[in-house]
Amino acid sequence: MTGYAFVLASGRLERLQAVGNIASIAAASEIPVAVFATMDGLEAFDTDRVESLNFEMGPVAEAMVTSDDVEVPLFTESLARAKELGPISLYACELSMDALDKEIDEYADLFDDVLGVSGFLKRADDKQVVFV
Amino acid sequence: MTDTEYEADVTVDSRDATCPGPLMDLIGRVRQADPGTVIELQTSDSSSKTDVPEWVDEAGHELRGVEERDDYWSVFVEIT
Repeated sequence: MTGYAFVLASGRLERLQAVGNIASIAAASEIPVAVFATMDGLEAFDTDRVESLNFEMGPVAEAMVTSDDVEVPLFTESLARAKELGPISLYACELSMDALDKEIDEYADLFDDVLGVSGFLKRADDKQVVFV
Repeated sequence: MTDTEYEADVTVDSRDATCPGPLMDLIGRVRQADPGTVIELQTSDSSSKTDVPEWVDEAGHELRGVEERDDYWSVFVEIT
């Protein structure tokens, strides 16, 4: 196994933040990472949603968003920075896009490709899969 | 000037940033550093104070020490 393949299916902010942090540190440490954003996990990358911080969230994520004392980077910011520092690829789920009749340019500019399940599994076959 | 027993070649100011910011800042700077360079990472994030040394150990660099300031910590890392 060389690296991690995150299947990100949740749109809840605490889960998105956790994936953003772990995937970013791994990639920056030269550990290969693939992120497959699917279902509500893909919808979380919608540019309007990101801009308005329109996410379901629990108390920890809410504290992060509302804190005046510290600057907490959003998962999209962490992932963007990780792409500058290490081996990380993001893939958008084609099925989820089709369900909402959306195009890739309606999401944050982070994705390397649009894939189906088989395409992602091919890219994940040497990695430990983590389902979120 | 802060009293310190370590002498840094480079200072990375990550105060007010939270995880993963300080570590990402450090890694970005480590990439540009020659072996033997001592980097001082300044962080006010308590979790980074403990997590950065874990990364330093895993990455094979040397943790020179962690010093507590009034409202932040200085983590000294020597690049190997």
